[in-house]
Amino acid sequence: MSVTDLLHAIVDGILTGGVYALMAAGLTLIFGVMDIINIAQGIMVVLGAYLSYALSTHLGIGLLPGLLITVPAMFLLGVAIEFGFMRRLREVDRTGMSILITFAVAILIEGVLSAVFGVDYVQLHASYVDRSVRVLGFYLPYIYLIGFGLAVALLVALYAVLYRTKFGRAIRASLQNRTAADLIGVNVNRTRTISVGIGVAVTAIGGMVFGATSAFNPNSGYDLISRLLAIVILGGLGSIGGAMAAAILMLVINDVVAVWWSPTWAPLVYFAVLVVVLSVRPQGLFGRTAVRAQ
Amino acid sequence: MSKAYGGVNALSDCEVRVEEGAIHGLIGPNGSGKTTLFNVITGYERITRGEIRFNGSEITNARPDRVFALGIGRTFQLTRIFGRLSVLENMLVATPRRGGWLRGIVRIAGSAAERRRAMQLLEFVGIARLAHDRAETLSYGQRKLLELASLLVADPDVLLLDEPAGGVNPTLINHLAERIRDLNKSGKTFLVVEHNMEFVMGLCHRVTVLSQGRPLVSGTPQEVRSSPAVLQAYLGGLDDTATERQLTARGDPVGESSAPVRPAPPSARPAPTHGRRERVKGAQPLLEIDGVTTGYGGGDILKRVSFEVPEGGITCIVGPNGAGKSTLLATISGLLRPRVGEIRFRGRVISGLTPRQILKLGIAQVPQTHSLFPDMSVRENVEMGAFTIADSRRVRERLAAVEELYPLVRERAQEKAGSLSGGQQRLVEFARCLMLDPALIVLDEPSMGLDPQMRQVVFEMIETMNRQGKTILLVEQNARAGLRLSSHGIVLENGRVRLSGSGTEVLQHPEIGALYLGGAVAGEGGRGDEATPGEGDANLSHATDAQRG
Amino acid sequence: MKRATGSGSGWRVLAAVAALAVALVFAGFPLLVTDSTATSIAVFTLIFMVATSAWNIFSGYSGYLALGHAVFFGSGGYAVALAARDWHVSGGWEVFALLPFAGIIAAAIALPFGMIALRTRRHTFVVVTIAIFFIFQLAAFNLAFTGGTSGIEFPITPFSAANYNQPFYYVALFILVMTVALSWGVRRSRFGLQLLAIRDDEDRARGLGVKTGRIKLAAFVLSAFPVGMVGGLYFYFLGQIFPQFAYDPLFDVSLALMAFLGGIGTVVGPLLGSMVLESLQQYFTQSFSGSGTYLIAYGILFLVVILLLPRGVVPTLAQLVANRRARALTRRTEEVADSGPAVRSGVAGAVH
Repeated sequence: MSVTDLLHAIVDGILTGGVYALMAAGLTLIFGVMDIINIAQGIMVVLGAYLSYALSTHLGIGLLPGLLITVPAMFLLGVAIEFGFMRRLREVDRTGMSILITFAVAILIEGVLSAVFGVDYVQLHASYVDRSVRVLGFYLPYIYLIGFGLAVALLVALYAVLYRTKFGRAIRASLQNRTAADLIGVNVNRTRTISVGIGVAVTAIGGMVFGATSAFNPNSGYDLISRLLAIVILGGLGSIGGAMAAAILMLVINDVVAVWWSPTWAPLVYFAVLVVVLSVRPQGLFGRTAVRAQ
Repeated sequence: MSKAYGGVNALSDCEVRVEEGAIHGLIGPNGSGKTTLFNVITGYERITRGEIRFNGSEITNARPDRVFALGIGRTFQLTRIFGRLSVLENMLVATPRRGGWLRGIVRIAGSAAERRRAMQLLEFVGIARLAHDRAETLSYGQRKLLELASLLVADPDVLLLDEPAGGVNPTLINHLAERIRDLNKSGKTFLVVEHNMEFVMGLCHRVTVLSQGRPLVSGTPQEVRSSPAVLQAYLGGLDDTATERQLTARGDPVGESSAPVRPAPPSARPAPTHGRRERVKGAQPLLEIDGVTTGYGGGDILKRVSFEVPEGGITCIVGPNGAGKSTLLATISGLLRPRVGEIRFRGRVISGLTPRQILKLGIAQVPQTHSLFPDMSVRENVEMGAFTIADSRRVRERLAAVEELYPLVRERAQEKAGSLSGGQQRLVEFARCLMLDPALIVLDEPSMGLDPQMRQVVFEMIETMNRQGKTILLVEQNARAGLRLSSHGIVLENGRVRLSGSGTEVLQHPEIGALYLGGAVAGEGGRGDEATPGEGDANLSHATDAQRG
Repeated sequence: MKRATGSGSGWRVLAAVAALAVALVFAGFPLLVTDSTATSIAVFTLIFMVATSAWNIFSGYSGYLALGHAVFFGSGGYAVALAARDWHVSGGWEVFALLPFAGIIAAAIALPFGMIALRTRRHTFVVVTIAIFFIFQLAAFNLAFTGGTSGIEFPITPFSAANYNQPFYYVALFILVMTVALSWGVRRSRFGLQLLAIRDDEDRARGLGVKTGRIKLAAFVLSAFPVGMVGGLYFYFLGQIFPQFAYDPLFDVSLALMAFLGGIGTVVGPLLGSMVLESLQQYFTQSFSGSGTYLIAYGILFLVVILLLPRGVVPTLAQLVANRRARALTRRTEEVADSGPAVRSGVAGAVH
């Protein structure tokens, strides 16, 4: 294995890591604001991919323009789920129950996708998807670069919203002390709903990039959520920066192992790393050490 | 047995010696490191320097289960019990100090002997009849007793009690003090952290005063009382007659008393503000509570509560634990909706509105437990008070005005709010609630958990805000201090209004002693939170009508 | 104060009779019902009752949701399959003798699994169990000795076609009785009490001398054993084992769902929940072969259960009864209090 190959793997890892970072950021945001682990995040990415697929094959709408439709659609889905299910969870044991509920939602979505689209593998296509640019002796697909660019832009936007806007303050307030937030007039319910909406909306983008870079079917959700969970836990639940760092780290390791050792074992190493890190540092790399109640 | 230790964040070069068989009190201003000391001894926190010795052997940084196995048990400031287990089961969890771990798997949860002993202990603290009830149904005071009893199962040699008298009515405090004395006579050593001076001075053989993480004075209660350094630590140089009285004399203290007390004669109240408080504006009350009945789903906590809050005055709600005071305040601010009845503000119905709407009408609340956003800076926290104002210039104006009143906000502007001491956080909370310039300020136990110095500051701030034209409605566990401060008083008990009138009237009412201020009247003790629902109701209903107005 | 009297002993007799009746039905079922679809559904149901009960011993009592028990189920299956193949065990009853071995293998896996996973806090723990589950799934797919994607076949059983299900049924029933006894025994023991204390307030339990690390690990390993055994049984019943079946994420979720439906943390709850759900599940798989609709139905069912009956049937019923009694009590005493002048209730001496 040459240095070029290694470099290629690292760059690939960084680029795909960026997209995973965005999706993981959504997952960790939902946790931070709601104390809820959204197991359905993986299947939602697949759903986003299928939506882009449907738009492009049936309506001829390109992948990027299609985002203008899929992102709001997923946002609404997130809002609906928060409104319909998450809101009903009482504070006690909230996280545990949320895992089960979102798992159920994931199963439901998978069922719907199977029924509507069948179980055959599909992939997204566009003119730029199949082209690549030659850099330093290897080829980088355009789609990777586009995806990475989108992800970075959105993450920056997210940070700006959280720390510079009034709404962002409202999110952080609801996160830190719900009663107090209520008492100063923050509409906590609405803030939470919108946060969940944002957390899910990012899966639309992730879905488009994911669908363009690999073949997928309704069953692909499991692999995705397991990776996203590993990233989020590694980075520390509730830390967006941590999720980003962990995403890039994990994906780079994954790609390097795939090239160096074997593609079949790469996912295994992925989890093994997680397990090892957690044994040494249970709260993840950047996790909040004091998590409420448990 | 002695302990000695060194550095940790909240403690530095702290050295304490506790003698076997003593009841040792630990007092000090807020933030002096008392609870940290406990955490460090029992292994919940690590120390960076120094050591802890128990009976000659070192236990520095030992884990909690090992510390317990060695014979040191502790209670927590916020009482902790196993809610879903029954009271008896709670008792059986504590492992006896000798006994194999593996055998525990096979053995039944409690042999007959163990159950007998558990029941005996429950008798001893007085909650034996609740043995089969789920622990979460117990009232606050009963939980404290259970927490204590479950420690005793393992027959520890040393007990660390963290604010055993906190938030509990004086009848129970007597009871606790007696139990501690009994246990002490049988050879147990105690280290007690408390803010309640009378409790500590009356009970302890020796007292150590901690200030800013190090011990200031250590000696008998008399010595500590008369030490000027202690006064200095608490008062910080302020002239504070009330606290001074408390520390130096047995005369007429601010706060709960462990001895039977006669209500204070009116002349003892500070004269200058007295007249001002009695003057009340206008005929229409600012806030009217009318027949409010509400609860949290398990049952009604407030039952047809009705009273008025006159504009311009300070109204104080007092009552034993479980009376429903916090529930009442939550309902006023819109966090809870009354099942029956309504609340009117300036004649307009507000029950059923959202907290945001109520806020905009001019009612701001500072809740009981810490309500700052810990990861935001002090300035951000205060600015959040004006969240509902869109105009940023107006927000800046309000901030400047508030900073005048509370210079602390300007001084510690960039620090994370979570790093401030309890008393300082309270002041920031006050500052925050003033941002919207509300007409009515609702305070839920503003002085809870604060040392006497901060308490005085808090009460002064309340008076200042009132002088500036704000109507205050507060709930106070510290009935005497609260009622003395107020122009009007309401006594709430078991979800009903028992007494109401001017502050003085309520304070001097003969029944109030029986109600919960002290165990003075024999036979009427054991009420309040010890009574099962409904049993304690009867006594004072006839007083309600006589006292109205 | 008068409590509800008289009905105490009456209820106990009724419960005992009911239990006896249930036991008889269980014992005689396959002898009476000969339809093989029904009996195979019964076998599956019994297997899940064991698995859910065992899972509950750990997750229900300690409050730590483990979503990785499929590891034990599948590993138990592989243990039996590999042992049968490599040790040349002939089909029939001899294979059943391998079941305890499957249980031991599962427990052996549970030990390191638990030691790693239990270092983390509650909700991180859930995710770690999921992660470890995926590791096993991947390993099963890729390792040679597990037969890869084509799996392993079990030795042929010589049981006659008509009574094929009966031996499986009775073995499963036997394991069930042992597991329920275990669950009940744990519940009543000090060990169980300490687990429940951990569920309520782990830090305080530690402060009271409970060796929380060891207790949780012990419960975890204990819960793995029966699951491993019935895993072996299950795949033997099917005749073959391959990775996506052996390590199926839906299995993990099913256990949780069944326990929640019946009442997590109780002894009877998981039994009830799994009985209802597994029969339903089997019915679904027989009727809807297309995977899509099956999943949709499952997802909806799951949501309904969690949202409407978050504590499960058994505790919710118990709570309703208790509430009714409490309300009657308060109503009566309120009437007394409202009716006027002081009634000395004589509670005065209670505390002192």
